[in-house]
Amino acid sequence: MAEPAAAPIIEVQDLTRRFGDFVAVDAVSFRVERGEIFGYLGANGAGKSTTIRMLCGLLAPTSGSARVAGFELPDQAVRVKSSIGYMSQRFSLYTDLEVAENLSFFAGAYGLRGARRRQRIDYALEVAGLTDRRRALTRDLPGGIRQRLALASALLHEPTLIFLDEPTAGVDPASRRSFWRLIRQLVREGTTVFVTTHHLDEAEYCGRVGLMVDGHLTALDTPAALKRTHVPGTMLAIGGDLSVPALRSALAGQDGVLDIQPFGRALHVRVRGPLSDPDAMARALERAGITGADITPTEPTLEDVFLTLAAGSTRQNEL
Amino acid sequence: MDGLRRARAMALKEVMHILRDRQVLVFALGMPVLLLLLFGYAVSFDVEHIPLAVIDQDHTPQSRELRAAFVSGDTFVPVVETSDAEAVEPLFRRNVARIALVIPHGYGRALGRGETAEVQLLADGSDNTTASVALGYANALALSVNQRSLATILGTAEPPLSVRVRTLFNPGLESAIFLVPGLMVLILVIIAVMLTALTIAREYERGSMEQLFSTPVGRLSIILGKLGPYFVLGLVQVLLTLTLGVALFGVPVNGSVLLLFAVAAVFLLAMLMQGLLISVVARNQMLASQLALLSTVLPALLLSGFIFPIENMPPLLQGIANVLPPMHFVRALRAILLRGNGIAVIWPDVLALAAFFVVLLTLATRRFRRTLA
Ligand SMILES: Nc1ncnc2c1ncn2[C@@H]1O[C@H](COP(=O)(O)OP(=O)(O)OP(=O)(O)O)[C@@H](O)[C@H]1O
Ligand SMILES: [Mg+2]
Repeated sequence: MAEPAAAPIIEVQDLTRRFGDFVAVDAVSFRVERGEIFGYLGANGAGKSTTIRMLCGLLAPTSGSARVAGFELPDQAVRVKSSIGYMSQRFSLYTDLEVAENLSFFAGAYGLRGARRRQRIDYALEVAGLTDRRRALTRDLPGGIRQRLALASALLHEPTLIFLDEPTAGVDPASRRSFWRLIRQLVREGTTVFVTTHHLDEAEYCGRVGLMVDGHLTALDTPAALKRTHVPGTMLAIGGDLSVPALRSALAGQDGVLDIQPFGRALHVRVRGPLSDPDAMARALERAGITGADITPTEPTLEDVFLTLAAGSTRQNEL
Repeated sequence: MDGLRRARAMALKEVMHILRDRQVLVFALGMPVLLLLLFGYAVSFDVEHIPLAVIDQDHTPQSRELRAAFVSGDTFVPVVETSDAEAVEPLFRRNVARIALVIPHGYGRALGRGETAEVQLLADGSDNTTASVALGYANALALSVNQRSLATILGTAEPPLSVRVRTLFNPGLESAIFLVPGLMVLILVIIAVMLTALTIAREYERGSMEQLFSTPVGRLSIILGKLGPYFVLGLVQVLLTLTLGVALFGVPVNGSVLLLFAVAAVFLLAMLMQGLLISVVARNQMLASQLALLSTVLPALLLSGFIFPIENMPPLLQGIANVLPPMHFVRALRAILLRGNGIAVIWPDVLALAAFFVVLLTLATRRFRRTLA
């Protein structure tokens, strides 16, 4: 009953979830194509996990429709569950059990048997890098390895689509990079990945990114297109120990200053018109008494997109 | 078939948890032993050498026979002999006597006419347990003496005195024998409700329930797999408690062991459902353990007839006791063990247990479904 391979693997129309009077996810619509890495970005409480829970058949939508892996939700939730993998935001393997016991249990839960079961458990051990440590207690594993193990166990039944809810939260940068290598590997093998993240640099790895603000999907496109559309103008990074107010007053009265945001140690100034030229900018700053500022043109990041779009958020605003 | 396989995977996992967590096993197997020893040896409900005041206002051969019957065993020791009924209260107050037998004037004559004669038993109510046990015992004694006297006079066959006493109480009121069924209830209740409520609440609390729900494992497989190991553990405990009861205290097994296990199985199922319901409602271990304690250990101790006789309770408590499983299970166990009764006698209790199971199964699975979305 699966649909032709060309059909989108996720099709969501006006998906809404309320908790009492509170609208956690508000009429969200999007499609995810097969073989994509689809990123879902948003501040705490934006509604990312709630969306994922609905798409995994864990939570009934209040209204709207969702079709996942060819099956209608929530009616065909059981069939959806057989074709997807889900790695929840909390680590939810059993920490009092051994690595192999966890995998063996989830293999049983997915209904794997015989040779295939052994083969998939071996594969999962390899993915997690735990082939030699299958008897280790899960609670003794470091965070990065745990996340790999959680991913591996969600892959046991060879799902065509996998949902990862903040898989790299609280994981060191090196482990994050190796985790993302793994994700790209899966996508090369034909899996579709739906991933939420707080790390904007990770969102750059995604084919397309959806941006959630207060339960609304406010933007959805490739990272490059998002930047073009939502962060127009030229981005200049200005180094030197300047504060936002200081720079703002220095550039007061200048035409074409769109936005000033702190970014790491520097400030990101988005400008249009003559000031787009670093030399012109340097002269403008010198006229205001700021000399020797280190000005370099730079690419807007997804963080700039996020800050622009989340400006009106009433919920939390920090990524 | 798939469902069964998944239930088996769940059950295997649960066994792993149990084996990993030594505390559970120590708790489950150590508690029956500990409780049996504690209640069997240290806390004696036996009443012996109760100081008895005999107020004989009749002074007939019949009244002397009744007095003799009372003091022949170890239960009562005559400390005062008088014919003054007013003397009783001061005796109780000064703790000289705990129970008083008042044989009123005309007792012998009434018996002689073939009527039932009345005697009065007064007990010091300040020590409730002793009082109720002593009163019950004295009652049985007086009744049997009366009937024997009547039978002698009327020339009918002597009623089987010993059987009559036994059906009212176990012979000699040996508390260990009487307590084993009650202890079994307490132990099973704690294991079945407490452990299952905790293990399921733990899955909610740690987020693994969500992970479970994301797999195709069905609700029924989760319930079967989660509760199965505790069901088996519960039956092992029945065996352990029974064996210890027989070996240490000479608990008689007059009825069918098979029937006993069957009744225990029904009771366990009811308790497991209660544990499931509690965990689904509470969803965290702290609240679950408190609810489990309140809703199981208390009824098992107070409303099972294990320590306090149900008949003496206010109607409301009697009503509650009748709805909850512990009293029915204690009654059925005592009937099977001590009296050797079969299903023909205990079916109302079994029915009550089964009804409780069905109601809780319905409630628990309905609540459990909601969480699945
Ligand atoms: N079961 C629930 N009952 C009531 N409110 C809920 C429930 N689940 C989520 N919410 C609320 O819905 C909003 C969205 O929650 P959600 O978990 O989807 O956010 P999120 O985008 O995943 O955030 P985070 O980055 O913190 O994980 C939050 O305000 C949350 O408090
Ligand atoms: Mg979340």
